[in-house]
Amino acid sequence: MTQPGTHDTMATRTLTIERVFNAPREKVFTAFTDCEHLMHWWGPHEWPLAHCDIDFRVGGTWHYAMRETATGNESWALMLFDEIISPEFIRYRDVFSDANRTINTDLPESASTLHFYAEGDSTRVVSTSMYADAESLKKMLEMGMEQGFKEMWDRLDAYITR
Amino acid sequence: MRDSLGTTFAALADPTRRAILARLAQGEATVKELAEPFAMSLPAVSKHLRVLERAGLITHGRKAQWRPCQIDAAPLKEAADYISLYRQLWEGRFDRLDTYLNSLNNEENAP
Repeated sequence: MTQPGTHDTMATRTLTIERVFNAPREKVFTAFTDCEHLMHWWGPHEWPLAHCDIDFRVGGTWHYAMRETATGNESWALMLFDEIISPEFIRYRDVFSDANRTINTDLPESASTLHFYAEGDSTRVVSTSMYADAESLKKMLEMGMEQGFKEMWDRLDAYITR
Repeated sequence: MRDSLGTTFAALADPTRRAILARLAQGEATVKELAEPFAMSLPAVSKHLRVLERAGLITHGRKAQWRPCQIDAAPLKEAADYISLYRQLWEGRFDRLDTYLNSLNNEENAP
């Protein structure tokens, strides 16, 4: 599978990122669903996880905070699990939150999926994030179909990546 | 940033305005030149241009219709940057997960 170009991503408002990991699927799946593992990798090096409370079931949540080592600033988030097929698939929503689990509705929520494909002893993880409302998505899809507009994206792409 | 992104996407929602931008991506043009491909009056085209201008997608002399319009790539770049942030976020997570899983493998393989 090829990585979608910036203009494709803009047209669908869905970002797809994938990676093959040198570990069996059960193990990779667990790395995404168990705090003991998440603490070691989820947050950036300068923003490690400072709080992790996961209730991994459909309708359950993952409430977590990342804390910046240098300043002590915290960033709280809540992940809402909508669909789980262990150890293959997770559909979830990412929302901005606080220490009391209050959802910040001013910031957009993103609908996301994680697929885990076994490839021998390795695992391919495909992450998709759709970061807009349906109305905007419809507009963007219409937009992507315009040839003239696609040419403009190509120019823009060249401009950005120069 | 998100508000201005909304303005950018709203301005891009109309097919005529997208066609105008595609034309301007080739080079600057006057209102008259922009109106030619469309069965549309100059005032109607000017209305679309005002929307594009408010979104910061073009620059245009408001009072002088003969002044050429130019595309401004900055808001489009901002939309692309927004996408790029998501990409960086996930690439970073995957890098760290890869390192972590390898460290687990090494522990298990240790004598």
